Amino acid sequence: MRKSLLIASLLFLTILVNAQTTVRISGRFDSVPAINFFRQIEESTPYFFYYDSTQLDSVTVNLTAQDLLLNDLLKQAFQNSDIQFAIDGQNRVFITKKITLITSLPPNFFKVTDSLQIVDHTQALTSSKGSNNKKSTILENRIYEVGIKTNTIKQGKATISGYVRNNKTGEPVINASVFVDSLNRNAVSDQNGYYSLTLPMGRYKLNVQSLGMDDENYNVVVYSDGSLDFELKEHVALLKEVVISTQKVANINRVQMGVERLNIEAIKTVPTVFGEADIIRAVTTLPGVKTVGEASTGLNVRGGSADQNLVLMNGATVYNPSHFFGMFSAFNPEIVKDIELYKSSIPAKFGGRLSSVLDIGLREGNKKDITGSAGIGLVTSRFNIEGPLVKNKTSFILGGRSTYANWLLKMLPHPYNDSKASFYDVNMVVSHRMNPKNDLYFTGYISNDHFNLASDTTYGYRNLNFNIRWKHQFNTKLLSYFSVGSDQYQYQVDSKENKVNAYKLTFDINQLNLRSDFAYSFNSDHNFEFGFNTIRYNLHPGSYQPNSEQSLVTPDVVPNEQAFESAAYFSDRYTVSTKLSLNGGIRYSVFNYLGPHSINSYAPGSPKDESTIVSTKEYGVGKIINTYHGPEYRFSVRYAFSLSFSVKAGFNSQRQYIHMMSNTTAIAPTDIWKLSDPNVKPQQGNQASIGLYKNLKSNTIESSVEVYYKKIRDYLDYKPGAKLILNHHVETDVINTRGKAYGAELMIKKTSGKLNGWIGYTYSRILLQMDDSTVSAPVNGGRWYPANYDKPHDVTVVGNFKVNHRFSLSMNVTYSTGRPITLPIGRFYYAGSQRVLYADRNSYRIPDYFRTDFAMNIDGNYKVKQKTHNSWTIGVYNLTGRRNAYSVYYVSENGLVKGYKLSIFGSAIPFINFNIRF
Amino acid sequence: MRRLKFLFLLFVFATCRDKYDFPLRETDVSLLVVEGVLNAGQGPTTISLSRTLKLSDKATIKPITKAKLTVEGKNGGTFPLSETGNGNYTNAQLPLVFGQEYRLRIQTSDNKEYLSDYVIAKQTPAIDSISWKKKNDGVTIYANTHDANNKTRYYKWDYDETWEIRSFYYTEFRWTSGTTIIRSPGYHSVCWKYARSTSINLGSTVQLQSDVVSEAPLIVIPSLSDKLSVRYSIIVRQQSLTKEAYEYLQLMKKNTESIGSIFDAQPSELKGNIKCVTNPEEGVVGYLTASSIPEKRIFITAGEAGWFFPQDCPFVEVPNQPDSIASWVPGYLPFSAAKEMFGSVARYNFAPASCVDCVTRGGDVNRPSYW
Repeated sequence: MRKSLLIASLLFLTILVNAQTTVRISGRFDSVPAINFFRQIEESTPYFFYYDSTQLDSVTVNLTAQDLLLNDLLKQAFQNSDIQFAIDGQNRVFITKKITLITSLPPNFFKVTDSLQIVDHTQALTSSKGSNNKKSTILENRIYEVGIKTNTIKQGKATISGYVRNNKTGEPVINASVFVDSLNRNAVSDQNGYYSLTLPMGRYKLNVQSLGMDDENYNVVVYSDGSLDFELKEHVALLKEVVISTQKVANINRVQMGVERLNIEAIKTVPTVFGEADIIRAVTTLPGVKTVGEASTGLNVRGGSADQNLVLMNGATVYNPSHFFGMFSAFNPEIVKDIELYKSSIPAKFGGRLSSVLDIGLREGNKKDITGSAGIGLVTSRFNIEGPLVKNKTSFILGGRSTYANWLLKMLPHPYNDSKASFYDVNMVVSHRMNPKNDLYFTGYISNDHFNLASDTTYGYRNLNFNIRWKHQFNTKLLSYFSVGSDQYQYQVDSKENKVNAYKLTFDINQLNLRSDFAYSFNSDHNFEFGFNTIRYNLHPGSYQPNSEQSLVTPDVVPNEQAFESAAYFSDRYTVSTKLSLNGGIRYSVFNYLGPHSINSYAPGSPKDESTIVSTKEYGVGKIINTYHGPEYRFSVRYAFSLSFSVKAGFNSQRQYIHMMSNTTAIAPTDIWKLSDPNVKPQQGNQASIGLYKNLKSNTIESSVEVYYKKIRDYLDYKPGAKLILNHHVETDVINTRGKAYGAELMIKKTSGKLNGWIGYTYSRILLQMDDSTVSAPVNGGRWYPANYDKPHDVTVVGNFKVNHRFSLSMNVTYSTGRPITLPIGRFYYAGSQRVLYADRNSYRIPDYFRTDFAMNIDGNYKVKQKTHNSWTIGVYNLTGRRNAYSVYYVSENGLVKGYKLSIFGSAIPFINFNIRF
Repeated sequence: MRRLKFLFLLFVFATCRDKYDFPLRETDVSLLVVEGVLNAGQGPTTISLSRTLKLSDKATIKPITKAKLTVEGKNGGTFPLSETGNGNYTNAQLPLVFGQEYRLRIQTSDNKEYLSDYVIAKQTPAIDSISWKKKNDGVTIYANTHDANNKTRYYKWDYDETWEIRSFYYTEFRWTSGTTIIRSPGYHSVCWKYARSTSINLGSTVQLQSDVVSEAPLIVIPSLSDKLSVRYSIIVRQQSLTKEAYEYLQLMKKNTESIGSIFDAQPSELKGNIKCVTNPEEGVVGYLTASSIPEKRIFITAGEAGWFFPQDCPFVEVPNQPDSIASWVPGYLPFSAAKEMFGSVARYNFAPASCVDCVTRGGDVNRPSYW
């Protein structure tokens, strides 16, 4: 449209050139953009225009000129706007906004005078043409109009929505805050960069910001509902810049509490063993998150056990997020965009686990160019490539990692040098934009581990996930997501050497997910989210099969378990006033345990064991054996006392229908999962929390204190010597336990500047009690006892210091109380050896844990026009070489009892990593 | 199922294990420990009684003496065991009948009474063979057995080892005391050493179609060990267990032997089948079982195993002078004459004691009856 207008107007332009100062111009200009207007004049006159094109973006010229001098022409053209102009003696025309340039020095400039006059709106500028100015200021002066333009702005409210994208790659910017200064109201973009904001119609200044991106300000006029996309630039510090900190107030404004966000840049600055950026290790540096030791990627969030965390990767449930016996997490840092950990206010759309949701967002491929990166480390190497399939429409990102750790294992002393370990993982994301209202996303993931430890037994496990998500925008107020996916986890143990006993043990979980989620901006005060989802579980709890022709192994198959877990939810974010907002949600979950299966009934009031089985009932295919259902409440409230201080409180309840069966301290690859059934009740948890949030120093420092109390019902603990694998009636080996957890979390975070990072302190307790009255000899006589991961004090400091743009130093320091451990109370002699005697569980603690890690990140040069960009990471894990105890134990060796302390990384471990981007 | 367990005994890159004595809060727990099997076959029955000790206690075992032990049959009959010292109580031949149930009653000198549950007298199948294999890390010895009736299913083994050792040098001299050296008899250059099992060896065939134990590993003789330097013998005794006894011993093994890995299960309390009658709260360690105990002995020679046993045995010439002799004994001992003049020895050949006198290597000079 605009182009054709331009051509039309050109036809009417005639110029009369007489003398240098008497150029006269004629022509008709109908809504000609000012810049084109200048160009036309430049082409036919000796004048040359200097202007800032972005200031003139929305300025058009409407006039008919008949032999006008330039001065008059411009006066007429801009009479009703704030555009100023100045013409100097050399036919240079300076176009400015609001301020007028003085093209000659004041007559008395060289005379010393007492009264220097400064004219309002006038100041001297050095001449600069067009786009030489810094780009980020450019957009700020443009006015964006949203909706159907009307002469006067109507009363009432309107919803604006759209995407926040990276201007270079076209990728969505997640968690960008779109903030309205004057209303103290903000919206946060979702995983697809989508935001929706309801405002009274009118003129606003919107501030759009996201971590790692330059802040942008937009002048917006909202006439009615409409869409507006924002593009943010990656924060590239070319020059030493002046940091203007604006409202980094997400932590103050958000209603939710107990939410931790880390983007991949922050994760990469946390030094880890072998130098691999590790998502789960980075999460463990956050307050309220613990792990039993270095050989475990199991997270214990606010007193929850490792199976009480829902680990989602682009919506796919990952059951075993670890590689290499738990040394690494199974997420490729090159593909991950960011993570969110919900510790307390878990949104109503999530459910099924008691403690937390770790939501891992993957990147979308670059929609404009093919790019990629590769990295080489001591133990793994990785490669990823991304780019458009159809430019600006469809993109892909593909990443893989693989290990070559066998050389490390070969350096072990005999016989462990015969060990073998290998793993790989592959991620793929394809995103396709059908049209502005419909997007499709495909996510695929596989991770595979295989190892044996100097024995003939090999272990393998695998995660396999894929899902397809369709995002549909009905209108600016209603947005929907539909997804279907499959998640699988399986493991296998093989032994072949002894032909008679050769066996193969397999376990797997399969789940099919169906989800629909809706976000509806009802009005400026109410934002609804609702949806429905269902999971179909099919679980093979164990199959034990002969593994050679001579094998005498009897096949033993624990029958399949099937179930549906469905939930519907509704939540409302209600902005009562600028200070007070509420978030209330309810989720109703229903769990149906399905046949075919046979269910034992036990004599009521007596302990469950084989001798108390009174009857066994067979259920047919698809028969509902039993149903558990109940509401889960999610409520939080925020009151902002000021722009930098708020108080939040929350309550939430959770139900969990699938349980990991593990009586080991760390998650073992042979742990099985079990669905709730008539004999194994779902776990339930309630948590209440309250927090204070205060930002300091122009919001560059965030501080918070959160306090929580949590109760857990029907947590599963085990009888002494419980058999969990291949147990056809595992309920006889588990004991219902209740738990209580409480604690306080303090965090101070500096988000910008040369030195950034956080300090977190956590005080937390988790105590368990076997309250099953049928159990004759409960653990510790039925008294409260600390769980394995009860570590009351924990201090973590994560710091990153940018020496210059190419060189930065990272350090983290962790201290925590030692975890509880069961130690002997005495000794006896039996079967030719001294042996130790145990009594109360977890009545001792291993020595306190302390570790310091250090890393240097060295980037290659920043020349834009080079094929590849390199970087190095060099560092030391456990700098002080402290032999932190993983466990303390007493073992009988050659007839004598000996006490030992086992350390996983008992020395300083240097590492080096090379990364290349192209 | 033993193999399914995650046995990462010692794991990893920088993983290290340090000796560590934890500052334990020691309590005065003194429980009765009962070990033994009622022998339902031919042969004596021995039950050992002891008490649990503090970890810091110096003693290895604290035997209980002056207790009264009787075996009671469910269908009648009581059979006493008599004290033989060191906390051992024996009956040379109990007249037990397979399939019948028996229990053990213990009265200690402090007037406490303990009683076991009734246990069934099981017939244990014979050991088919004791086999061995040489691998990189040494020789592994295995038990093989089967029960044609598929009834036994749970097995336990213990064993006694005997091996012959020889001194590097044959000797004709002997240092007696001070600086006195006499000629013949020289040192013993042939000795026998003994060891008994120190671990709980269990086997189960419940996962197998037929009750066949194939190559259940019992012991590894590590490379360069002196056990196979000449000739080695092992006698293996086999017991059959009930499921409960197996689980109890399995748990004891987990608690006390298979610990120290990354994926350890929690150590836990043991609940056996012996209870204190006078004080039901008091725990008792041990699980009484009753079965016949067939045994089997095998011999392996160094030649068969292709064994290599290195000994570092340099010798030195020592003048027959009190000062010189005193400076070498007892670490070095004389074994032959280096130089004889006029019927008397001018210089002796001395070698490290372990190369000369097999008693210094912990050997016993008496030839066992089966050798």
